[in-house]
Amino acid sequence: MKEIVSVSLGSRHRDHESQMTLMGETVHVARRGSDGDLDRARDMIRALDGTVDALGLGGIDRYLVVRNRRYEIQDAVRMASEARKTPVVDGSGIKNTLERTIVEELHADGTIHRDQHVLMVSAMDRFGMAESFDALGYQLVAGDLIFSSHINYPIRTVDELDELARKLLPEVTQMPFHHLYPVGDAQTGDSDPRYRHYFEEADIIAGDFHYIRRYMPESLEGKIIITNTTTEGDVALLAAKGVQTLVTTTPVVDGRSYGTNVIEAALVAVTGLTAESPGWSDAVHATGLHGTVLRL
Amino acid sequence: MTLLEALQQFVTECNQNERLREMNRDWSRRIQLEPDDTQHLHWLVSDEGLVSAGEGPVDNPDMLIQAPEEILTAIFSGEMTPTEPYNAGDLLVRGQQDDIMRLDILTLLIWGE
Repeated sequence: MKEIVSVSLGSRHRDHESQMTLMGETVHVARRGSDGDLDRARDMIRALDGTVDALGLGGIDRYLVVRNRRYEIQDAVRMASEARKTPVVDGSGIKNTLERTIVEELHADGTIHRDQHVLMVSAMDRFGMAESFDALGYQLVAGDLIFSSHINYPIRTVDELDELARKLLPEVTQMPFHHLYPVGDAQTGDSDPRYRHYFEEADIIAGDFHYIRRYMPESLEGKIIITNTTTEGDVALLAAKGVQTLVTTTPVVDGRSYGTNVIEAALVAVTGLTAESPGWSDAVHATGLHGTVLRL
Repeated sequence: MTLLEALQQFVTECNQNERLREMNRDWSRRIQLEPDDTQHLHWLVSDEGLVSAGEGPVDNPDMLIQAPEEILTAIFSGEMTPTEPYNAGDLLVRGQQDDIMRLDILTLLIWGE
């Protein structure tokens, strides 16, 4: 059996252990939160190095891949550098493959259609998904500036998203990560509906679930949500708000959809490949991994 | 270039940029710049997206930015990004995190890439 651990900057309240089967191999998965404490997360990675088959970085991205450029978040680099023997992955290798294709599949099977409006609460961390929506002709609003920095400016094209990424990400990725994204208890902060109209104007709401949960309005009647890292409690919350369909971009096991870092770590553990390996994309698709569509 | 000239250049760039005006349409803040070597105070004010600057103190500032005058001049003229002196401890910013982030983003959108 393979062993993987996801070391997360998120809250310890979401810690869990479970098993998944990938390409016929059983993988034991553990998630360990550090409550936003970067040093604690680094200590955990150092202690786990060499004792498990792969490590995932949770609650933080290492790489943001926007078009043909890859930006590296320095706090994630510091975390990953604590491991000398065990491969460390952040899920970007999955986002750039599975999340790109899931939009195409949802469109092809009629779950979504192009006259629906899309709100991506953040898209610089999921550019593949944004590009898929754009290529299929969907009207897209990317809320990166709105939800991460409270700058009320909707980004309406992937070209502008790319332009802003080129101007902002080389510097922003050098900043302390907690300036960019909620970590620890900040992830479970009070609901903040000040940008509710962006949710109300959208038929499809996609992207990071922490942002969705914090900024969603009282009612999400008839909406389609495309996200991941949801728990059974999150699913119940979305159902109570009237969500029509919840699509998780990673498989649901025991009521929980794993983070992309967990899926990537499991894949690395089983195949020995990494996202930089030739044939990575084929390996991802060969696993038969797919998201889950839940009608609520 | 003096700090005042750098701030005036920054103000012009902000006010002539339609996208920045839209981003800041709901942002009204008073920012005090305090060079910790010369003590020569300057200010920046955003009034619903229209930015102005000048010398001297500003009443009830929402943000306080402290750094050597040379560094402040370099930041607001685009010769240096705020990240480098901030991470080196040469730049101290007091205020709401959202406001600090917004000011970083404004400088990057004007001078970035």
